[in-house]
Amino acid sequence: MGRSSPLVGWLGGAALTLMLIGSAIGLFFVAADAEQGEVQRLMYVHVPAAWTAFVAFFLVFIGSVLYLVQRDPRADRFAAACAEVGVVFIALTLATGMLWGKPTWGVWWTWDPRLTTTALLLAVFVGYLAIRGFSDDPDRRARWSAVVGILGFIQVPIVYLSVVWWRTLHQPPSSPRSVSSEILWTWMLNFLAFLLVFSYLAARRARLARIEAELETRQAYDV
Amino acid sequence: MALGSRVAAIVWKDLLIEVRTKASFHSMLFFAALVLFVFSFAIGPDTPLLKRIAAGLLWVAIIFTGILSLSRTYQAEEAGGGLEGLRMAPGDPRGIYLGKLAGNILLLLAMETILFPASAVLFQLEIARNALPLAGIAILGTIGFSVVGTFYAALTLNLRAREILLPLLLIPALVPPLLGAVNSTQLVLDGNPLGEAAVWVRLMVAYDVTFFVVCTWIFPVAVEE
Amino acid sequence: MAVELRDVHQRFGRKRVLRGIDLSVEPGSSVVLTGANGAGKTTLLRVVATLLKPTSGTGSICGLPLGEGDRIREHVGYVSSRGTLYDDLTAAENLRFTARLMGARSSDQRIDGLLEEAGLARARDQRVRTYSTGMRRRLSLAALRLRPLDLVLMDEPYSGLDTEGMSMVDRMVGEFLHAGTTVILATHQAGEATRLATAGYLIEHGRLVPAGATD
Repeated sequence: MGRSSPLVGWLGGAALTLMLIGSAIGLFFVAADAEQGEVQRLMYVHVPAAWTAFVAFFLVFIGSVLYLVQRDPRADRFAAACAEVGVVFIALTLATGMLWGKPTWGVWWTWDPRLTTTALLLAVFVGYLAIRGFSDDPDRRARWSAVVGILGFIQVPIVYLSVVWWRTLHQPPSSPRSVSSEILWTWMLNFLAFLLVFSYLAARRARLARIEAELETRQAYDV
Repeated sequence: MALGSRVAAIVWKDLLIEVRTKASFHSMLFFAALVLFVFSFAIGPDTPLLKRIAAGLLWVAIIFTGILSLSRTYQAEEAGGGLEGLRMAPGDPRGIYLGKLAGNILLLLAMETILFPASAVLFQLEIARNALPLAGIAILGTIGFSVVGTFYAALTLNLRAREILLPLLLIPALVPPLLGAVNSTQLVLDGNPLGEAAVWVRLMVAYDVTFFVVCTWIFPVAVEE
Repeated sequence: MAVELRDVHQRFGRKRVLRGIDLSVEPGSSVVLTGANGAGKTTLLRVVATLLKPTSGTGSICGLPLGEGDRIREHVGYVSSRGTLYDDLTAAENLRFTARLMGARSSDQRIDGLLEEAGLARARDQRVRTYSTGMRRRLSLAALRLRPLDLVLMDEPYSGLDTEGMSMVDRMVGEFLHAGTTVILATHQAGEATRLATAGYLIEHGRLVPAGATD
């Protein structure tokens, strides 16, 4: 089967390092928010996780399109790996969003457009993984999940817009708070860290998928 | 054009079977009415409250019923081994999608012509005076639902656990047309000028056009084996 | 060549159903495919019918490359063992629908003529739900004659039929061959048509083995 490329090992090391640095900064070195207090530090996880999840989703879309055009199983494995790791980041986004919301708004859930869209995005991811889970044959699984991946991706901006309009209809939009450059840089740093973690995990997952595919070929039996 | 006559043939066949068996339409209608009743019981006989959320209840009933009827339109094909008979037709397989889509839209609209007046009675709504805008909204919402519903139903036809997969895939996809239909319906019923509902109508149109194009384009992959 | 398949493989997950199939079928000939249940006869027929995309391999059907299914199906007819009839429609309605679906003439005259020849004229306006296996098979096969075809594929056409039904199948195959249509039959029963076939193959462990036309 061969060793995984040493590049992936370096990627993992870099990811871990950056995660530690980013977490340290977010937790200790940046000043706490004047209004929200320490809870606001959750945003240093929530925002980069959300950005990473969207990147993951976009990559699922790209992988799906590539698969349908080239019918290369590698594109399918790539998309699937991005989806599996992406779903973790979406769940993380949702969880940190809710954890932040409880002390800030007093409730676990509001129909905030971003939170709602995140929840629906999770549903789309889950749908993609479910289609894969219920397929027996790798060719068909790749084909059908590619279709779901493409449609799901196109749905998201429309869903987001519709929920935003829905909220403005029933509640004036909260005025966007300007963000200090200190906070912004911490977000960017953590975003980079999360991206590296995502890439590392997705690379490992894709490799695992390749091994599974080879195993299936070797274990193929005749009727 | 060969595609057109194939589509027409499929629509004619599905409607003929529908008229012949009648069972589906009647049970769809009954189910939708039941959903309305159950929700009303659950919420309570507070008529002003029900009136305020009537649009939501109505469209939820339509969507639940629609999902049920989607699996039904493909069931008749199952007797003949899935879509095999249809797939043996020469030419573009998209004809299957367009035919099924048209049939589903017509069936759902037929049901809505009864469901809307029924809700008017249950929730004391004034639909007669707003008949035209409501019809337009109903058509747009039904098209939106049917476009993705017909597609996902065909996609999940060959999968295990499709009874769960279909709603799982479909419901997130239906959020925009649902919001569009419910909000514009409610605005119209509340007597607001059509202008306020315009943003929702535009949303539905954008959704319908986008997904009609995408689903039609990608359909051959969904039924490929 | 009516059918040309080169190194066709079909895999479903871990199951290898077709392994390196090479097949050449001369136009106007008749071919019998035999093999145990589950050996791959139906899978092979479905690949030829363009209903199934092979995992790998190349070929052409009626001179058109395998990938051009949409055009290939203008020349190919396929009857599966289950048939694709709609229970709630009558024989006439089923034929009319199939005709329109396939882009064939669907006049009442034509349909009545076909029903007459299939011995189903009396059951014309009865729902297919009430039909026996033999009647269904007759109807499915009658549908094949709605338009001129270069290639006809039949999967287990004899199954469930009595001797009269089997002779009907043989007669139809003879008529197709007489008209220059290529016929490929998958069956594990021998009939007249299989005895007179030009070529026979056995599918065993996913491979094609030339076999006598009779079992």
